[in-house]
Amino acid sequence: MTVTDVDPATPPVQRRAAGSGEIAYRRAGQGRPVLLLHSAGGANEWGPLQLGLTGTADLIAPDHPGFGLSDDLPELHTVDDLVYHYLDLLDGLGLAQVDVVGVSFGGWVAAELAMHSPERVRRLVLGAAVGLRVPEAPIADLFLMNPPQLMRALFHDDALVSAALAAEPTADQILATYRDLGALARFGWHPFLNDPKLERRLHRITAPTLVLAAGEDRLVPRVHAERYAAAIPDARLRVVPDCGHAMHGEKPAEVTAAVLEHLGS
Amino acid sequence: MKVNFFHLMPYPYLPDDFDDVEKYPSPSLTFSNAHFDPAIGVDLYHRYLDELEYAETVGFDGIVVNEHHQSAYGTMPSPNIMAAALARRTSQATIMVLGNAIPLRGNPLRVAEEIAMLDHLTKGRLLSGFVRGIGWEHFGHSINPADSRSRFNEAHDLIKKAWTEPGPFSWYGEHYEYRYVNIWPRPLQQPHPPIAVPGAGSPETMRWVAENHYTYVSVYAPTRVVKTWFDGYRAAAADLGYVPEPEKIGMALPVFVGEDDASAHREARPYVEWLFHRGLRQGLEIVFPPGYMSPAAMKGLLKANMKAFPELSYEELLDLGYVVVGGPEQVRNRLGELRDELGFGQLMTMLTIGAMPAEMVRRNTDIFATEVIPELKRSPVTASP
Repeated sequence: MTVTDVDPATPPVQRRAAGSGEIAYRRAGQGRPVLLLHSAGGANEWGPLQLGLTGTADLIAPDHPGFGLSDDLPELHTVDDLVYHYLDLLDGLGLAQVDVVGVSFGGWVAAELAMHSPERVRRLVLGAAVGLRVPEAPIADLFLMNPPQLMRALFHDDALVSAALAAEPTADQILATYRDLGALARFGWHPFLNDPKLERRLHRITAPTLVLAAGEDRLVPRVHAERYAAAIPDARLRVVPDCGHAMHGEKPAEVTAAVLEHLGS
Repeated sequence: MKVNFFHLMPYPYLPDDFDDVEKYPSPSLTFSNAHFDPAIGVDLYHRYLDELEYAETVGFDGIVVNEHHQSAYGTMPSPNIMAAALARRTSQATIMVLGNAIPLRGNPLRVAEEIAMLDHLTKGRLLSGFVRGIGWEHFGHSINPADSRSRFNEAHDLIKKAWTEPGPFSWYGEHYEYRYVNIWPRPLQQPHPPIAVPGAGSPETMRWVAENHYTYVSVYAPTRVVKTWFDGYRAAAADLGYVPEPEKIGMALPVFVGEDDASAHREARPYVEWLFHRGLRQGLEIVFPPGYMSPAAMKGLLKANMKAFPELSYEELLDLGYVVVGGPEQVRNRLGELRDELGFGQLMTMLTIGAMPAEMVRRNTDIFATEVIPELKRSPVTASP
């Protein structure tokens, strides 16, 4: 869910050159650097999780290429490309090591990044992450869902579903959502939100890792989180009860507290 | 005016409770092929091919086949196979493959080869259409819709080069790499068979079709919207200093001609409703999956503000111009008005509408051929209405 900026404390959007264009990001807070990699619907978001992180950390929250306020960077096709994109960003910002928090699609990118360059990641959080290939318990086909079906798959609490569907979206909102999902399709249509090679490489991750699962996730079956936690050497699994896939949208206080605790803030 | 007979080859035998849209959101992609009865299917294929062959004998200029996958709406996953079946059973009509869904192909050279073969089998009566493939077919064949347009463009460029430039040559593209492109046979028609491309309002497609001087074909839209498409195509051509001949603009249209106006509506109504309310029952999410449309095309679509097909009543379908139904005089007049308003020189009639039975299709074809075609051919098409 994109949260509209209403809080005057929301840090300004910054832009920097990347590949064939520019990406947008926000940066705020002081402390150890944290890279927040957003979910497919979470570009340009500034909410409780972000605010919580800025309380104790130097938060860097970019929009992925093709999402939110970032340019398309059409030369990037795969999550592997995004790993190099984010390594370039860390290099460009002069950050040798960061904490990485990745949510859903961003969790997949975070896992690939930590696997590729373990020394760059101090602590890792994977929230309701996609990325694993589990044929017996596949991720639900969100591309096949109409907006009401998608909302019901994202939130466990019916009141949140109703609230999300209450207002008719404007044409600009429809176009923005279509663009974000189009970018998700670019990186995740086939193989469908997974990298068949990921699981057998996860052992390379050295960062202490918190694998967060939503108790009532209708998109990503629980076994995905269990297998992430089993394959990453220093990982623990924590389940947020009564919570749908859109974790920090549905249970912002619990999720933020769990993330901050793991990062040792 | 060229008048063509366009077949979709639907599978009409849907379950009795098919109106339950929760249970059956679409006849495409997720509608189980357990509903396809091979014993019925075999007869349907032969009946439908008979209908195409018959169209030639009563004076249609062209017969048209197309490609759809995993759907009861249309049962031609390979249009080239149907064109091959027709090639040596016909001798006059242009065989129009409208078209091969080239982004769905892993190996576009196979299309170049098959079309070149068909060009010989038809002795140069072939028209080669290229289409993107519907959204649901990108689900069905695991082709990334975000790559669809660039795959289309690259496959087209490769196929055209394979037809027109002496091989062997190599090809290093974004999606395809070949060290040896050297197809045998080369096509009979030189430099290559004529090409047609359907459009649905995408400005990129209009411009691209105009740049290449191809035929632009409309499908299933209100007359006011089709007019913006054809005007857009002509405007894109004018920008390039090119005036497309009327035959470079085609309109695909379901038509039913009865013996008189009242009986025509009474007879056609259930089949028109079958086509739009059942055959074309498909949510936006499976027609335009993420990435399939450019932002500009999506904006145009939102602006056109068209209702979903199943929400259109029979009366709306008629009034808006999605279909033409009537007695001979009414159909003649209506098609004449559309031709004058839209300026198309190719009419792709769809005379087998939905689940229409064979004897009714035959009557529709006969009356159309004797009562409508001569009048359509009598009046010239103005290039720029």
